[in-house]
Amino acid sequence: MISPLAEIDAEHLDNLALGSVFLATGGGGDPYVPKLITAEALKKFGPVKLLPPEDVDDEAFIVPVGSVGAPTVSLELLPSVEDAAKTLDAFEKYIGRKIDAVASFEIGGGNSLIPICAAAAKGIPVIDGDGMGRALPEAQMMSYPIGGVKPTPALAYDYAGNQATFETDTTETYERHIRAFSMAAGGMITAAEHAMTGRQLKDTVIPGTVSFSVRLGALLREQRGQADTLLKPLQALFETSIYGDCKLLYTGKVMDKTTRIIGGYDIGEATIQDFDGTATPLSINIKNEYLLARQGDEICASVPDLITIVDFETGTPINAERLRFGQRVAVFATGCPDFYRSERALKFVEPRCFGFDIDYVPLERL
Amino acid sequence: MRIGIDVGGTHTDAVILDGDRILATTKALTSADVVTGITHALDTLLADGGLKASEIKTVMIGTTQFTNAIVQRRDLSPTGVIRIGLPSGKGMPPMIDWPNDMASAINASVYMIHGGYLYDGFPVADLRDDEIDRVIADLKKKDIRNIAIASAFSPMNDEPERLVAAKILAAIPTARVTRSAQFGRLGLMERENAAIMNATLLPFAGKVVDAFLGALKNRKLNCPAYISQNDGTLMNSDFVRNFPALTFSSGPTNSLRGAYKLTGLEDAIVVDIGGTTSDIGVLQNGFPRESNVVVNIGGVRTNFRMPDILALGLGGGSLVSEDGKNVGPQSVGHKLVTDGLVFGGDKLTATDIIVAAGKADIGDKSRVAYLPESLVSSARETMRTMLDNSIDMMKPGGKDMPVILVGGGSVLVTDGLAAASELHRPEHADVANAVGAAIAQVGAESERMVSYRTTAREDALAQITQAATERATEAGAHPATIRAVDIEETAVPYMDEGATRVRVKVIGELAL
Repeated sequence: MISPLAEIDAEHLDNLALGSVFLATGGGGDPYVPKLITAEALKKFGPVKLLPPEDVDDEAFIVPVGSVGAPTVSLELLPSVEDAAKTLDAFEKYIGRKIDAVASFEIGGGNSLIPICAAAAKGIPVIDGDGMGRALPEAQMMSYPIGGVKPTPALAYDYAGNQATFETDTTETYERHIRAFSMAAGGMITAAEHAMTGRQLKDTVIPGTVSFSVRLGALLREQRGQADTLLKPLQALFETSIYGDCKLLYTGKVMDKTTRIIGGYDIGEATIQDFDGTATPLSINIKNEYLLARQGDEICASVPDLITIVDFETGTPINAERLRFGQRVAVFATGCPDFYRSERALKFVEPRCFGFDIDYVPLERL
Repeated sequence: MRIGIDVGGTHTDAVILDGDRILATTKALTSADVVTGITHALDTLLADGGLKASEIKTVMIGTTQFTNAIVQRRDLSPTGVIRIGLPSGKGMPPMIDWPNDMASAINASVYMIHGGYLYDGFPVADLRDDEIDRVIADLKKKDIRNIAIASAFSPMNDEPERLVAAKILAAIPTARVTRSAQFGRLGLMERENAAIMNATLLPFAGKVVDAFLGALKNRKLNCPAYISQNDGTLMNSDFVRNFPALTFSSGPTNSLRGAYKLTGLEDAIVVDIGGTTSDIGVLQNGFPRESNVVVNIGGVRTNFRMPDILALGLGGGSLVSEDGKNVGPQSVGHKLVTDGLVFGGDKLTATDIIVAAGKADIGDKSRVAYLPESLVSSARETMRTMLDNSIDMMKPGGKDMPVILVGGGSVLVTDGLAAASELHRPEHADVANAVGAAIAQVGAESERMVSYRTTAREDALAQITQAATERATEAGAHPATIRAVDIEETAVPYMDEGATRVRVKVIGELAL
């Protein structure tokens, strides 16, 4: 295991952001702007204490915070440095209770950074862990609700400071409501939701992922170069982590990529042909994230295991929205944390939840 | 007949092409005033080709003058930067991620005001007259004439940028305004960066274009003159007065295109070895392979279309260690002709090693006769390994590919390269950039976010192609030859069904 970091400082942000794109499996959005606002917050308020879940008091009040919306919108509608902290201020006022620490929805993409930005301004710690261990498209796929945490009371805050509060029965309903508010508010909002006790956090969080993402980002930077030389160092790192196996599935050129929006999600497929043009092409199904990799009828990897596409030359992970015809890429697959292989979690994240009529088979058995 | 000229930091190269045939080439030193260097090159060229100025139908110029100005932080003018987007982006002002020396080099005055649009056309906020008036008063007080304006979602709706620009121009008639929407793509910060770098270069661009045209006029070349841009296509020279930033990567692009023209190889690795670096790029179907990642110019993030170039710190002026195991990245650069051993200097350079090995006849070879054989062979091995490894990294999937050597430093490669299936050293390789400039076409692109629910897909594509076509025509293309070469559609996750980002690129022949 890698040793956990005690705090997050500005110097960690580049590595955290890079590692988070690998773990985002194509989704999660470009963390560049979240990284900038977090750097500003750390410059102003100093480093943030990173709290290992096991050190959290059972009675502590923990609130996950992050962005909900369309990654492309964040290219234009820039967040304000104070949005995340103001979301928490408004949430505290709404429910009449002080927050002891913040947590992350998902370690994949920009939402790995927003909680750090918020924690810096509030002067409270951030949990070393998250609610997915990767990125996934819907709120009910988070480990917090799967483990029984209620989604509401929740509060959303837009670019102009407009607010909405939510009281819903289930996380599925909450997901529909907050998605609607996000679209009405310019396509990107900040939300505080799935508030929980320290005890609930310990039972549901995917632990250590902030420290791990920083380490992964450092590795990707140090080993920058052709993707096949990355495999050994990646395996060495993943082997001793909560993720386990790491495989290089395929290298080749993107021959086709088609996506269209169905039900508010970016759904489609990418096809990759090996450089010699002799092997069966690899096809990747996309719903915001890369979910299923197949060669012909043979399944190579599937959700909830992680599928990551990187630039072949540099090993830099490529988001689904930036994947395009002609790019030379390598495809990695990595095991998911054990939490997501349990029966209660698979009910929410197995391939059938995304419309693929296949059973989940763990990566190491494929 | 056409003339291609490449105005680099050190050399000004030029060629005359008659159709596909190269009639004459020349290489001159770039002069401080730019004009003299070009005039000299033209004199030699016309004399060698035995041609009259009236026989030349067009002149194409490629230049790294503007890139060098940004990289060296020189010839940059004080700039006003206006972001229209409040209340979004508070605490995230323009240039927040620029290197400090670059930010101070342009001495920017930054203003953030309310306005802009959301993805669905709803306003972020209304423009406020009092805010705009305060900005104008401050610009007047500081006597700032070069201004960049950027507004949220301006590729979709550029009305806020236009309104603010019009007010500024009404109040300060001598002002020069760059609007971010003129740089097309989505990505507010990158588009804004492009607009700022463009605005700060405007006065220098005027001088450089005057110098280009002045030199042509000196030699009675009254034909149209064009300047090549990042993607290997051309702009008319007056366009460059307003858009110098579009030339940023034309150097490597022209060298790749020139290598294609000189060899006829559509798919190959091109190694351009200069005094300080070897620029390694890839030709695909005769055009440069584009970079997949965001490109930094002088440390500033941009979204220009750029060729994918690996810059290796190995050139003719690279310093060689005593045991020959290290070559570069330090280099004597253009001082090679005074500091290198074979030129009577005291620095051991890569060029000295090649002369000592008897593989090139440059300068005074007796000055390197004392170098031990072991050092010479070790340094040659080091250089070969550096090039082989870097070429391997650029190869698509490690497949064997031909390698084309261009540039003045290509003498460094004496034997074969293990990484190359075949090695080409085309005639006129030393002026490949000028050849690349001479064969450029005119291109343009347009990008919009559209909703296929409110606008039918074919109507949307037609509108966007029309916008790109208008830009290409404005840039000098013959309307009848313009065709779309790339249509990129990106659905936007989570949004309204049918929301799609569409980009169309068109190219056409130069209207002669």
